[in-house]
Amino acid sequence: MKVLIVEDEKTLAYEMETFLKKAFYLCDLAHTVAQGLEKIEINSYDFILLDLGLPDGDGLTLLPKAKKHNPEAAYIILTARGNLEDRITGLDLGADDYLAKPFSLLELQSRMQAIARRKFNVKEEALPLGEFSIDLQKRFVYYKEQQIELSRKEFDVLSYLFLHKNRVLTRMQLSEHIWGTFADDDYDSNYIDAHIKNIRKKLNIWAPTEWLETVRGVGYRIKK
Amino acid sequence: MKLSSKLILFITGSKLAIVLLFIISLPFLVDGIVSEYTNYSLRRQQDKVISIVNKKGINYYLQGDDSFGSYTMLKEEYIALEPDSQNLYIDTIKVAQRLVETDTLTYKILIHTFKYKDKNYLLEIGKTVSSINQYNKSLQRIALYVLMGLIALTIIIDLVFTRVLIRPLGKIIESKLVNRKFPFKGQSVPVKTSTQDFKYLDESLINLMDQINIDFEKEREFTANASHELMTPISILQNKMENLLADDQVTEDVAMSIVGMMKTLDRLKKISSSLLFISRIENDQFVKLASVKPADLLEDIKEEIRHRLEDKSLTLTIDVTDKVTLKNVNHDLLFQLFYNLINNAIKYNVEQGSVALTDAFNKQGNYTIVIKDTGIGIAPEDIDFIFDRFRKTNLSENVGYGLGLSIVKSIAVYHNIDIKVASVVKKGSTFTITFPKNMLV
Repeated sequence: MKVLIVEDEKTLAYEMETFLKKAFYLCDLAHTVAQGLEKIEINSYDFILLDLGLPDGDGLTLLPKAKKHNPEAAYIILTARGNLEDRITGLDLGADDYLAKPFSLLELQSRMQAIARRKFNVKEEALPLGEFSIDLQKRFVYYKEQQIELSRKEFDVLSYLFLHKNRVLTRMQLSEHIWGTFADDDYDSNYIDAHIKNIRKKLNIWAPTEWLETVRGVGYRIKK
Repeated sequence: MKLSSKLILFITGSKLAIVLLFIISLPFLVDGIVSEYTNYSLRRQQDKVISIVNKKGINYYLQGDDSFGSYTMLKEEYIALEPDSQNLYIDTIKVAQRLVETDTLTYKILIHTFKYKDKNYLLEIGKTVSSINQYNKSLQRIALYVLMGLIALTIIIDLVFTRVLIRPLGKIIESKLVNRKFPFKGQSVPVKTSTQDFKYLDESLINLMDQINIDFEKEREFTANASHELMTPISILQNKMENLLADDQVTEDVAMSIVGMMKTLDRLKKISSSLLFISRIENDQFVKLASVKPADLLEDIKEEIRHRLEDKSLTLTIDVTDKVTLKNVNHDLLFQLFYNLINNAIKYNVEQGSVALTDAFNKQGNYTIVIKDTGIGIAPEDIDFIFDRFRKTNLSENVGYGLGLSIVKSIAVYHNIDIKVASVVKKGSTFTITFPKNMLV
């Protein structure tokens, strides 16, 4: 998948690039509205990540023009402004999602995957997870044909770890994903342990879960 | 006590005191005047007699007799003239009894001796005391009526004038102090008055409010800008750390210290975004058009917060009617308000404690929701400051970043919701949230 990152803060753009490259995305960078338009006119992208406060104009003005050249692309607005009007205008202009800075790169990737599933009609079968399989669209975990009951939050934890497999996720990253703005300091990361414990308990009835690792002092990881 | 009431009381009181003083002194006053007048009229008669004697001779009266006497029909007045053998000079007015025919009556008598053609004569002119005093009572009464009428008239005039005079002050108080809530939105309209002092007061208040608004606006702008400007560097740091953590070459120790750094950064991020959130509320950036059922909202929060109850085996009970709907509110803000309050009730609770939510309508018809916990409570000296930014009163473990209640307060102010706190240390706290009547559907 090809991604265009339109972001004037160069360090930030490079960090996003580094992260997305690791997840096997091809990335182009643009730091101004003009550069962005130029790239969009030449290339075709699957994702366009758009910062709003650019040095030569508002990212929102870029959006309709870009859509003309590249209507199939998914547009995600990234902004530190975070006010409601921007969000509404962005979504009205046809943006697919909206992320307020500062955001976690993990969150960005999981949003991109969700859009990909929805927008590009990527029909995913249930994916293998050890001796289990996980259906991210239907939000079910199976052991062979047997459906395993997980609570909403437990599934959120498991699927987030699954989306970023082979990567250690900290308790904080997990709790921010689950509780969003309501996450309360250190306090909530303790509950991640409780959720992991429950997930293990529910799955261990059917098969071992050694693929769900605890990384001491850091967090959890699904290893494959 | 209001100024107008004080003035009315003083005016009425002082006038009544004057009336009282007058009533007490009236008899003496009337007696004095009447006695003066009687003396004067007796003297006048004396002068008249002397002048007649001088003009027409003593025989005009005596007509050859030894003495002369005359009295009115009811013996109210008499006059007597006789030669005086003693060679004494008498000129006095006194009260004495005289026998006139068969009646002994008390008279006020002018006694005067004079010489006529080398002979001494004694003149007595008398007037009965009862006839002198017969007008006293009615005179007193008339004086009293006139006085009371005048006093009543002046009191009315004073009251009307005082009211007119003080009215601008009432308007200033009403428009500038009573009906204004901070922050003062909209332009202040000067109160019309010709009284220089009120004009000055009004202008000063308007200037003061404008100045406060300007400063408040500046502070708000600064908070918004500062937190906003912090977002980009925080973003960079967060993403850098995330990438670093994913690096295979990072050892376990380094990974742990990266996690530590991420935690600190997360704290910074939450502080900035909370400040930004507060300034957005204060800048009216949230639409208040939703209708919300508190019962449903609280159930949603319970679902969201459930996992936190288990830690200390707390019980959360919600006994709130599902018949109440609040209108013209922002759903997310209201959610955040209750979430923060319930979260605090849980966070500062004790093992096996409880959090109870109940509701009621108060006497004014406003709707209240009460959140009562069995937590560690708030010390009386801290209770006034719990809504202040960065004020952490309970310095136990697990303290937040000190903005939860500030957010609650700005949401409450934005919605015109009132929050009252009562607390007993080691017993628990009670938050009473009052929604104005006009918010109910």
